[in-house]
Amino acid sequence: MARAQSLRDVTLRLNQDSLWQRFLRTFGNVPFGVSLLALWGLLTLIGVVVAQGQAPDAYFAGYPAPIARAILRMNFDDIYHSVWYLASIALVLVSMTTATFTKVIPRRLPPYRPVKVDAIPLHANLTVKGDPASVRERVEAFFVKRGFTVRRRDFEGSEWSFADRFNWARIGVLVNHLAILIIAAGTILYWARGFSGQTAILTGEAAQIPQTHDIIHLDAFSYAIQPIITKSGMVYQPIDYVSRVTVTRRDGVPTPMVVRVNHPIDLDGTLLYQASYGFGMRFALTHDGKSVPALTDRTMMEGEALQIPGTSRSVVYERFVPTIDRRTGMPSADPRITDPAVVLTVADAGSAIGSVLVPLHAGIDLGNGWRIVPVRDVVYSGFQYRYDPGVPLVAVGAGLLLVGLVISFYFLPARLFVRVDPGTGGFSTVGLAATTVKGYDIFETQFHELVSHLESEVP
Amino acid sequence: MPHAMPLDEVLMILALSSYAVGALVLVVYFFSREDWLRNFGATLAVAGCAAQFAQLAARYAETHVWPLLNLYGSLSLFAAMSVAIFIGFAFRYRLWFAGGFVLAIAAIFLAYGVTWNEGVMPAVPSLQSYWAKIHVPLVVSAYAAFLVSFVFSVLYLVKYYAERRYARRDVPSVAPSAPAALRDAPALAAAAQSGDAVATWFATLPSLAQLDILVYRAIAVGLPLLTLGVITGAAWAHEAWGAYWQWDPKETAALASWILYAAYMHLHTRNAWRGLRSSWWSVLGFVSIIFCYLGVNIWISGLHSYKV
Ligand code: HEM
Repeated sequence: MARAQSLRDVTLRLNQDSLWQRFLRTFGNVPFGVSLLALWGLLTLIGVVVAQGQAPDAYFAGYPAPIARAILRMNFDDIYHSVWYLASIALVLVSMTTATFTKVIPRRLPPYRPVKVDAIPLHANLTVKGDPASVRERVEAFFVKRGFTVRRRDFEGSEWSFADRFNWARIGVLVNHLAILIIAAGTILYWARGFSGQTAILTGEAAQIPQTHDIIHLDAFSYAIQPIITKSGMVYQPIDYVSRVTVTRRDGVPTPMVVRVNHPIDLDGTLLYQASYGFGMRFALTHDGKSVPALTDRTMMEGEALQIPGTSRSVVYERFVPTIDRRTGMPSADPRITDPAVVLTVADAGSAIGSVLVPLHAGIDLGNGWRIVPVRDVVYSGFQYRYDPGVPLVAVGAGLLLVGLVISFYFLPARLFVRVDPGTGGFSTVGLAATTVKGYDIFETQFHELVSHLESEVP
Repeated sequence: MPHAMPLDEVLMILALSSYAVGALVLVVYFFSREDWLRNFGATLAVAGCAAQFAQLAARYAETHVWPLLNLYGSLSLFAAMSVAIFIGFAFRYRLWFAGGFVLAIAAIFLAYGVTWNEGVMPAVPSLQSYWAKIHVPLVVSAYAAFLVSFVFSVLYLVKYYAERRYARRDVPSVAPSAPAALRDAPALAAAAQSGDAVATWFATLPSLAQLDILVYRAIAVGLPLLTLGVITGAAWAHEAWGAYWQWDPKETAALASWILYAAYMHLHTRNAWRGLRSSWWSVLGFVSIIFCYLGVNIWISGLHSYKV
C-alpha cells in the first residue's frame, strides 16, 4: 500500500516536472514571446481604429450590425480595460520573465578555449615581424589600448590570448526586462492604491475631492484668446487658462492657490490640474408673466435639462455661444464673449421639437404661459485630480528601459581569439577570430577595421 | 519696391530643390556608380539638410514660436532628420547608393508638409511646455530612423528576391571568387561571373547579411529614440493633463509601433528569422509608423490632432 502510494507520488512528481519543463520551454521560447508581443500590438491597434468609450448606438451607426455587435460583445469598445488586453500583457510579462531566467541569464560568450581560427566566419591571418613572444605582447597592447580586456591562457603548451569587449553589457537585456516589470508594478500600484477623477466648479462655488475631502473653491477663472490670421482664415487660439482657487484641507485652513495649464498644484500627493472650462447659465423662468424663483436661483450646466412644472415639456441647455454672427444669425467661431447666446432644445414628452439660438436676455415661449430667458453666464473651470503612487516606479522603469536599450544596442559583447605562431624569416603569424553574443555579421565591419588597424599599428 | 521673400522661404526652396535634384543624381548613381555623381548627390543631401535646419532656426528666430508643433514643422523636421540620419549611415558604412530613395521620400514629405503651412501661430496652452519642445523632435527623429531602416529593408528584399529568381533559372554553385557582396547570394554570384549585367550590378549592393545588419542598426537608432519620445510624451501628459497615459489614439498607435519594433529586436536574435522575415517585419513596422504619424491625424481625432 505504502509502496503504491510512493510510486504514485513519484509519477505525480515526474508529471509535474514535465509540465513545469513544458511551461518553461513554451513561455521561454522567443517566437512564442514574439507572438504574444504581436498579439499585444494587434489589440493595441484595434483600440486605435475602433473609437473607445462610445455609446452602443454609435457603433451601430458606424459599423454593419454584426461587427458592431462583435465590438460590444468582445468589449472592444473599452479594449484597454478588457480581459483580452490585460491577459495579453500578463502573458507577455510571464513569457519575458521565463525567457529571462531560461535564456538571457545563462547566455554567455563562448568559453576561453582553443578554436579553429579559419573555421570561424570572422577571422584573419596576419604576418608580423618579430618573435612570437614580442608579437603577442604588441598585439595584446593593441587590444588593451582599444578598451579590450586581455587574458592569456595556456592549453597544454599552446598559448592563447582572449580579448573581450563589453562583456558586462550582457546585462543590458536583463535591465530591459526588469524595467518592463518595474513599469508594470508601477501601473498595478496605481490600480491598487491610486485614484483620479474630474470636477467642474462654477465661479464662486466649491467642490470636494471625495477621496481626500479637500474642498476647492473657485474664486475666479480667466482665460486669454488671441485671434490670428492664417492662410485658411481667422483662427482663435486660446493662449492661457488660469484658475484662482482657495483650498481647504483637513487642517481647515483656507489657502489661496493658482492652477494653470501645465502647472498642477500638489495637495499632499494628489495633483490638481487645470483641464477645461465652459459656461453655466442662469435662466429666468416665468409663468403668466410671474417669475418662478425656485428655478431662477440655480445655474444650469451645458447638457442639463429642465422639466417645466405641470407640463410634458422640457428644455435642454445645449451649449453656450459666446458670439452670434449677426449677418447669418448663426453661432460665430469667435470664442470671445461679445454677443452671447445659448442653444436651447425644447422637447415634448421626451422627443425633441426643435433647437433655437436664443440671445442673452431674449427669451422663448414654451407654451401654456411659460417663458424662459437666459440672463447671465457663469464661467466654470474643469479640473482633473489624480493620486498615483506608482509614478516614481514607472519613472524609474522608464529610465532603466532606456539605459537597457542603449546598452543592448551600443555595447556589443565580443570576444577575440588570438593565437601567435612562429613563422619564417623572423616573422610570426597571428591568427585572429571573433565572435559576439549576436552572431558574426553584426561585428563584420568593426572586425575588418580592427584587423586593418592592427596591420598598420603592429607591422 | 519688390517684396523680398522671407529668409525661411528661401531656405525651404533651397532645401526642396537640393533634395529633388540630389534624389535624381543619387538614383542615377544607384545604377551607374560614377563617383562624381555620388559626390555631387552627397553634397546636395548635406546642403539640403543644412538648409532645412537653418530654415527651422530662422523661423524660430523670426517668430519666437517653437516651429515643430504643427504638421508643417513636424514634417519638415521629419525630412531633415531622415536625411541627417541617412547621412550618418552613408558616411559610416558607405551607403550613398541608397541616398536617392531617402532623399526622394524626404522631398515628398517636405513638399506635403509645405501644403500645411498655415503661417505663424502660438501653441495652445497645453503645448506651451518644455516637454513639448523635446518630445516632438525625439519622436520625429525616431520616425526618421525607421524610414532609413525601411529603405534598407526594401533593398534587402529586392536583392533577396532577385537571388531567388536567379536561383530558379539554374542550380547555382558558389563561385569561390565571387565578390563578398554576393557571398550569400550564390545564384547572383554565378550569374555575375558569367557576365550577367543585372547580377553584376547587385554585387555593388552590400551582402544580404550586411543589409540585414543595416536594418537592425537603423532600428537600433529608432527604437531608443521612440522609447525616449514616448517617455517624454508621458512626462508631458502627466504635467498637462494629469495622467501620463491616456490611451489617446496617437500615443496608443505609437505604443503599437513600439511593440512591433521590440518584437523585431527579438526576431532578429533568431537565425531562422533574421533576414527575410525580419526585413518584412521592418516594412510592417514602418507602415505602422506612417499610420501613427499621419494616418491617426487624418482618420482619427484625439488630443494629438495637429489641427488647430
Ligand atoms: C514576450 C516577452 C519577451 C520575451 C520572451 C523576451 C525574451 C528575450 C530574450 C530570450 C532575449 C535574448 C535574445 C538573445 O540574445 O538571443 C531578449 C532580448 C532583448 N529583449 Fe526581450 N523578451 C520579451 C519582451 C521584451 C520587451 C517587452 C522588451 C522591451 C523593450 C524587451 C527588450 C529586449 C531587448 C532590448 C533585448 C536585446 C535585443 C538585442 O540585443 O538585439 N524584451 N528578450
